[in-house]
Amino acid sequence: MQDGVVIAKVDEFLNWGRKNSLWPMTFGLACCAIEMMATGASKYDLERFGCGAFMATPRRADLMIVAGTVTLKMAERIKVLYDQMPAPKYVISMGSCSNKGGPYWQYGYHVLKGVDEVVPVDVYVPGCPPRPEALIEGFLTLQKKIANEGLLRDKWVKNA
Amino acid sequence: MHEEWAALLSDRVPDCEAKVVFGKAGDKSIFVASPSLHRVCTLLFSHEDFDFHVLQLITGHDYLASEETKDTPAQRARIEVSYLLTSFRKNHDLILKVELPRENPTLDSVCDLWASANFQERECFDMVGVRFENHPDLRRILCPDDWEGYPLRRDYEVQKSWHGMEVEPEHKMNLPEREFEKRQKEMAAKHGV
Ligand code: SF4
Repeated sequence: MQDGVVIAKVDEFLNWGRKNSLWPMTFGLACCAIEMMATGASKYDLERFGCGAFMATPRRADLMIVAGTVTLKMAERIKVLYDQMPAPKYVISMGSCSNKGGPYWQYGYHVLKGVDEVVPVDVYVPGCPPRPEALIEGFLTLQKKIANEGLLRDKWVKNA
Repeated sequence: MHEEWAALLSDRVPDCEAKVVFGKAGDKSIFVASPSLHRVCTLLFSHEDFDFHVLQLITGHDYLASEETKDTPAQRARIEVSYLLTSFRKNHDLILKVELPRENPTLDSVCDLWASANFQERECFDMVGVRFENHPDLRRILCPDDWEGYPLRRDYEVQKSWHGMEVEPEHKMNLPEREFEKRQKEMAAKHGV
């Protein structure tokens, strides 16, 4: 950058940084988590999109991938973990289970029928389990969503 | 082999009423009277002919009496608890069963003989509600501690909500399908199929 000049809106600059360094939380619930691990491993390599740094604590993460069956017992803990994450924070619901109860939607007495009952979800990734490509698509969708956000505009400009 | 075992059991534990039962499909099992369970298990564990030093699983099963078959003895309303015992040294195994009433089923714990019984009995308590006496730590193992009812009972009705979360939100489920079987039977009765 010695000789060049880069002109950008502050918001866009921030978004560019945020969307290319999404840090998910290390956290998997059931079979879908295996597929999430595969996505993070060398073959699909999430690091290409800047979201491979799985954080071991919710306080350092800004993305929660709910990968797997959300039982009622777990739903309470998910709520706590979500509250511990610093804003701005995002949630990807991965797999039929966390989307809407999955195989347990009709007779599962112990399963929450969709994680959106307890936390707001940004991107739903369908499948049982979704292939790594599907999860990557979910990430890209989320990155597009982040790119169109205007954090500073919302904060500083009235009636934005 | 089961007949000899049953004879030996009745000989050593006179009130155990051991009887061999042939399943319609599957393995033979030995039924014993529930009050004698702990003594029977002690014998199975320690007697050198049995030598069952491994308890593989304990499982509870709930049976409702049905209208058509309630007179046949096999179709009483009851809870059956099965113990799958194995001896690797003798290379044999045994399914030991006891029968309990559906109201307040109580059994003696066998945790002092086999440590693996601990979690198995907790699961049996969690799912079908059998109380195990002298269990060191009888709590629910899978469901939350304050869950109501026993999910693997045939007449189980799931609670409406738990800690403010709706268990079966109507807009997300296909509740009419639950009635499907019932309606099917009604139709069959109506049209004489
Ligand atoms: S959606 Fe399918 S693969 Fe994923 S957690 Fe549920 S059952 Fe397992």
